[in-house]
Amino acid sequence: MNKLTKHIISAKKKWEELLDNKEPIIYVGAASCGRAAGALDLLTEINAFLKEHNIEARVMQVGCIGPCYLEPLVDIKMPGQQRISYNNVNAKTLALILKSHLLEGKPHAKLALGHFGKEPLNGIQPFYELPMLKPQVRIVLRNCGLIDPEDIDQYLAVDGYQGFMNALKMKPEDVIGVVHQAGLRGRGGAGFPTFRKWTVCRNSPGEQKYLICNADEGDPGAFMNRSLIESDPHAVLEGMLIAGYAIGASKGIIYIRAEYPLAIDRLKSAIKQMREYGLLGKNILGSDFSFDIKIKEGAGAFVCGEETALIGSIEGKRGMPKSRPPFPAVSGLFKSPTIINNVETLGTLPNILRNGAEWYNKFGKEGNRGTKTFSLVGKVRRPGLIEVQLGTPLREIIFDIGGGVQKNFKAIQTGGPSGGCLSEEFLDLPVDYESLAAAGSIMGSGGLIIMDEDTCIVDVAKYFLDFTQKESCGKCVPCRVGTRHMVEILDRITHGEGNPEDLLALRTLGDTIKKGALCGLGQTAPNPVLTTLRYFRNEYLEHIKDNRCRAVVCKDLIEYRVIKEKCTGCQSCVRVCPTGAISGPRSEPHNLDKTKCIKCRSCYEICRHDAIAGDAIVIRSAEKRT
Amino acid sequence: MTKEKKLSITIDNKKMEVRPNMTILQAARENSVYIPSLCILEHLPSYGACRLCVVEVDGLRGFPTSCTTPVEEGMVIRTDTAEVRSLRQEVLKLLLSEHPASCLFCGEQSECKDYQGTIRKVGVTTGCRYCPNDNRCELQLITEKVGLTETSYPVYYRNFPIEKEDPFYDRDYNLCILCGRCVRVCNDVRLNGTLSFKQRGKLTTIGPAFDRTHLDAGCEFCGACVTVCPTGALSAKVSKWYGRPDSQVGTTCVYCPVGCKVILQIKNDETIDALPDYDSPVDQGLVCVKGRFAIPEYVHSAKRYISPQRLTPIGYEDISWDKALDEAKERLSGIKPEDCLVVVSPQLSNEDLFVAQRFTREVMNSEEMFSLVITDLGADLVPFLDLVMHASSYDAINTAQGILAIGFDSTYGFTPIGIQIKAAARKGANLVTIGSYESNLDMLAETAHQTEPSHWAGMIDPLGKAMSGNGKTNIVIVGPDVFLGPERREALGRVIALRDVYKWKVIVAHPYTNLLGMLATGAFPGIKPGEVLKNGDKGSAVTIKGAAVYPDLQKKRKVVYVIGEARLDMVPPCDHLIYQNGLPPESGRKPDLILPACMFTETSGTTINAEGKVLPIQKAYEPFMKSKPDWWIMSGIAEKLQKRTFKYNSVQAIQGDIRKQIKGFFSMKKRLEFVRVGMKEGGEGTRDAALRGKRSPASREETYRGTPLASVVSGMKAIEERRRHE
Amino acid sequence: MPETIEKILKKHGRTTDELIPILQDVQKEFGYIAPESVKRISRYLKVSENQIYGVSSFYAQFRFTEPGRHGIKVCLGTACHVRGGATLLEMLERGLGISCGQTTDDKRYDLERVACLGCCALSPVVQIDRDIYSRMTVNRLTELLKEYE
Repeated sequence: MNKLTKHIISAKKKWEELLDNKEPIIYVGAASCGRAAGALDLLTEINAFLKEHNIEARVMQVGCIGPCYLEPLVDIKMPGQQRISYNNVNAKTLALILKSHLLEGKPHAKLALGHFGKEPLNGIQPFYELPMLKPQVRIVLRNCGLIDPEDIDQYLAVDGYQGFMNALKMKPEDVIGVVHQAGLRGRGGAGFPTFRKWTVCRNSPGEQKYLICNADEGDPGAFMNRSLIESDPHAVLEGMLIAGYAIGASKGIIYIRAEYPLAIDRLKSAIKQMREYGLLGKNILGSDFSFDIKIKEGAGAFVCGEETALIGSIEGKRGMPKSRPPFPAVSGLFKSPTIINNVETLGTLPNILRNGAEWYNKFGKEGNRGTKTFSLVGKVRRPGLIEVQLGTPLREIIFDIGGGVQKNFKAIQTGGPSGGCLSEEFLDLPVDYESLAAAGSIMGSGGLIIMDEDTCIVDVAKYFLDFTQKESCGKCVPCRVGTRHMVEILDRITHGEGNPEDLLALRTLGDTIKKGALCGLGQTAPNPVLTTLRYFRNEYLEHIKDNRCRAVVCKDLIEYRVIKEKCTGCQSCVRVCPTGAISGPRSEPHNLDKTKCIKCRSCYEICRHDAIAGDAIVIRSAEKRT
Repeated sequence: MTKEKKLSITIDNKKMEVRPNMTILQAARENSVYIPSLCILEHLPSYGACRLCVVEVDGLRGFPTSCTTPVEEGMVIRTDTAEVRSLRQEVLKLLLSEHPASCLFCGEQSECKDYQGTIRKVGVTTGCRYCPNDNRCELQLITEKVGLTETSYPVYYRNFPIEKEDPFYDRDYNLCILCGRCVRVCNDVRLNGTLSFKQRGKLTTIGPAFDRTHLDAGCEFCGACVTVCPTGALSAKVSKWYGRPDSQVGTTCVYCPVGCKVILQIKNDETIDALPDYDSPVDQGLVCVKGRFAIPEYVHSAKRYISPQRLTPIGYEDISWDKALDEAKERLSGIKPEDCLVVVSPQLSNEDLFVAQRFTREVMNSEEMFSLVITDLGADLVPFLDLVMHASSYDAINTAQGILAIGFDSTYGFTPIGIQIKAAARKGANLVTIGSYESNLDMLAETAHQTEPSHWAGMIDPLGKAMSGNGKTNIVIVGPDVFLGPERREALGRVIALRDVYKWKVIVAHPYTNLLGMLATGAFPGIKPGEVLKNGDKGSAVTIKGAAVYPDLQKKRKVVYVIGEARLDMVPPCDHLIYQNGLPPESGRKPDLILPACMFTETSGTTINAEGKVLPIQKAYEPFMKSKPDWWIMSGIAEKLQKRTFKYNSVQAIQGDIRKQIKGFFSMKKRLEFVRVGMKEGGEGTRDAALRGKRSPASREETYRGTPLASVVSGMKAIEERRRHE
Repeated sequence: MPETIEKILKKHGRTTDELIPILQDVQKEFGYIAPESVKRISRYLKVSENQIYGVSSFYAQFRFTEPGRHGIKVCLGTACHVRGGATLLEMLERGLGISCGQTTDDKRYDLERVACLGCCALSPVVQIDRDIYSRMTVNRLTELLKEYE
């Protein structure tokens, strides 16, 4: 272990130097979402600024720290001072920040978000005291946004690979034992105890065993895995080493969505570094354990998140699920025993092996130990990536962490398209596997979508069903045909053409698909409809009986109007209307011809943002049709 | 085999013992418990898509499919609970909403039946009888069993155009339920890979890449997909509107020497279809396009003779059999033995061949028998026969570590051999191919050599040497392009060397169906019945005289009597030509007397396949019009000639004589084994010059009784054109 | 083209699990999967062209026609949906006169929908070529498109 120990010592030293920096460090949150918000442009400008003012400073790209709504984030750490974070930085504010903080050495208190130090700082609150972060427990995400994901030394400096080294000192069975004691359950959705799957695989005969990391994060509205890999790839890779050692696998495969190019790049460079440090290959760290990791890019099929379909896809076949038994742990990839673990499960392992099962048991509650990451999105005020203890009530997540809802809360969807839509009465539901299942939903991989009164529940149900229906592999009848009927019925309802019997038909179809479909994708596909039928029945009935969409979403049930009193006749809307539905001379209230209007939203938007009047165009429920 | 320990399980409260490694469905079927299922089929890997075979199993979550779940000790299974029944009904409703189902649920069904006899003026999918599979449809059966009487869901008619551009079968994917049987049979059983699922979800369709036609996509037209399709989505062009057959008869296909079993589907004394038999030990149901699709159109060709005919100055006139036999007698009586030549086809049955040689030898008192095999092979006949007579059995391919295929393509023939080669190659056998164009085996070959036939002979030796050694078992497959090509002498010699020096096994893929029968029964000049069969301690070699084998084809005869051959331009000139066949001759030559003969579906007998197995040919119905079996005609002429040497009334009588004369011929289980054949006196192609060039050497045309299948069977023409194109 | 394909093939093993990686490399190189490429891959992996087509058409990533100069991807993830992603798509379909999965006649744009780009907190999101644009509106998108010739 000499070689690695040397690396660790030098890594820690480098880390100390970083904390005790001699030149300014500028951190830019440059994960995918940061980049989408403009982080790369900021980087260019920072570099230009440094050059212009001839400042020696270190610019570091870091991952995602969580509060996506604050992107892009730029942190500055001056020598001998603490790191200070600035949020929603744009070209204008960047110039101010750099000028004040970098040139004049004064943190720009007004633009600052928080600081990472232990000492109080006037006018700037501690970062982790921010309301979004305070209730969180960061185990899996502990390094996200804090270390450079492209530098293995920084990971080593924060005790990276310590968990793996601990595992190597144990017998594989004992590693499984620790995971058993820790009570870790699969974070991919179903919550199957990780140790049980591992035991089956370990005991299955077969010389070649495989460990697959499932990074095919296909749930729309979920990005926990992407963020983790982009921000702390070594945590996942270390988890793979631990799992591979425990089950006796010598080959690891990461199956990752091709839509995550940055995550793939980060993994590639991390694997390269691992190899350089002797953490992959034959006889790792002088032990008997040999392991190597390969990356396989998914090719765009949601169903490949299902274990057997994923295996088929790696084998170069159509990603169509297969009936179980045989289970992959017995006969999986190339008919060899195979374990498929989710990114987050793997990302949790180093922490458990580093700190012990007992430590892990401190988090969560009986039967639901530890933490879970969620991507909190939708109509919530503070969307982002969060991590909380299992058992945390929904209310705390939505209101304390998420800062509440923009308008009135209506529903929360857990578990993505396979999950359910829960109403207000469930706000005090603790987030654990069993409670969610009892409510008709599932934990899923961790997407939480918040909906407010502007969201039409029938439209959302249709959206999810339409999604699964498009992603259905088409193999089994209930899923292929059943979801199609359901979408069609929902479509009719959103067009105001439903009838009361449709609700019964939806139930029957949902029931048949749940019982009859081959794989998890199909069996859970009806959940969004079944739960909304249960908790939001009235909204369905309104669509059917009154032809009314109270959220003014369903196009056939709404209309656009110009409020004459408010319209100043600025003609902005006339210019953008693609069908010439709006007319009227300048400075006089405009007319909107409903027969020509295609409800494209252009006029509404331009009136909100660019026009002089501001809100002269409204969207309303249409008058009831006869 | 060691005795397997049985498992005890409970199905529907009944305890039973079953073998391990079975699925619940198999266990249930063996114990006569009915579970509906659509996507599973014996011989195909299970798939689990139709979800009709769901059951309840104690301790298993939900409703597992019985076709995929293996039985376990102590399993308690319920196949018919209320919940299972209702789930099956609901699933079936969904399935039928993708499949036009007016045949099941139409309110006008009973009246509709009354009008079904009328001529349809509408396209098949818009009329009431839109489905060629009506009354034979598995969906109809299942619907009845599941007890579904109505469906509430709208039907998604997918509006695919019906695909008719390919030969032999039509495809109406509007009727497809995506059970995947065709895809599995094409890929997993036929190892061909023409059919594939395309797209996904509700857009899933089945077919070849890029909307290619099947012809362009490498389809073998083996029809396996049509056979397994439970609906009317895939249907054979010839038989699609016939409905259910009256009966079926298993027989052996005589289009080539592989000896595949086909199950003829009979309706109104006609073959409407021919199906493979997956339990057939010879071919495992892997028939080729000829056996599967080329039989009905050929045996019921509109060109068939309906009566004996005599050529008169004003054309042909129909005559009675009595007159016809008299006519033959007149021509044949009193002529010198050497003035008559009897031409026999190697596609006749053993019984016909046996009678033919007796006719020649005992009635005409001559050895003047001739077959076009002799012209085809010319001076290289002996090495060719040597290889054919000592061919290996097909299963040797399975165990071979090295396979050399020369001039061999199994797309449209010899498929059981081709598929075994593919299977062996996939298992890791070293497959090397040599050919002048890309064959269907090249894709799986370790090395594929595409070169001019003139180079082949030179390649055999070094390749053979390289592949031999270390106790490896190797096999060489010799295709028609080898022995019908101009460089055959050298090539055949090299193959013999492989066999004799390096102990290779050999299979010759030749077109002469019952060539071994011809040799065994002695219907070959210079070979007596049974003479070439290995039989106890008898001599191990036979030497034939070259002079007898190669007749003078320039010399004019008084009579030439052609039995089952249609290429008359190869036949010597004569005063009188007696033509005994089912279809008219291929050349312009006009026979003086036409004797209409039966097809192999109309008379019984046996044939010997390339492995040396004697296989049965079954009569399926009475002969067409006035046609008669070949043996009956020959026997009749013999009788008229008042030679009381033989008279046969039945095939059994002939078989009795064969049994007496040729020991061990009908010990059906065994392969017949042959002695070595040599040749002396002018064997070196004395008349080779005359024989050569008579047949276009590289012709790969498929014929039966001398008539190219392509000239009678419309689909074969399309295939033939494609082949030429290549 | 043939040499480039050979080069790609040489980088991969000859087992069927290399099929999808090969297809991905081919698409990266040529922008789509052409019949000639399928033929070459078929020979290399000993898998029939039809089977390769069957596999590739299953996955949303692969296309079989030449792509346009700019690829527009509209995210229709849940977050983007509730914030109006579908309206953006509709507007594009109308404006470009093509539907999802098609290319404009002048080969300028391809239009596709994606399940989720993983930028849910910044929804609705549209990706043009490699750039991701967050918090899109119909009118901003109209302006933006003009920048892509």
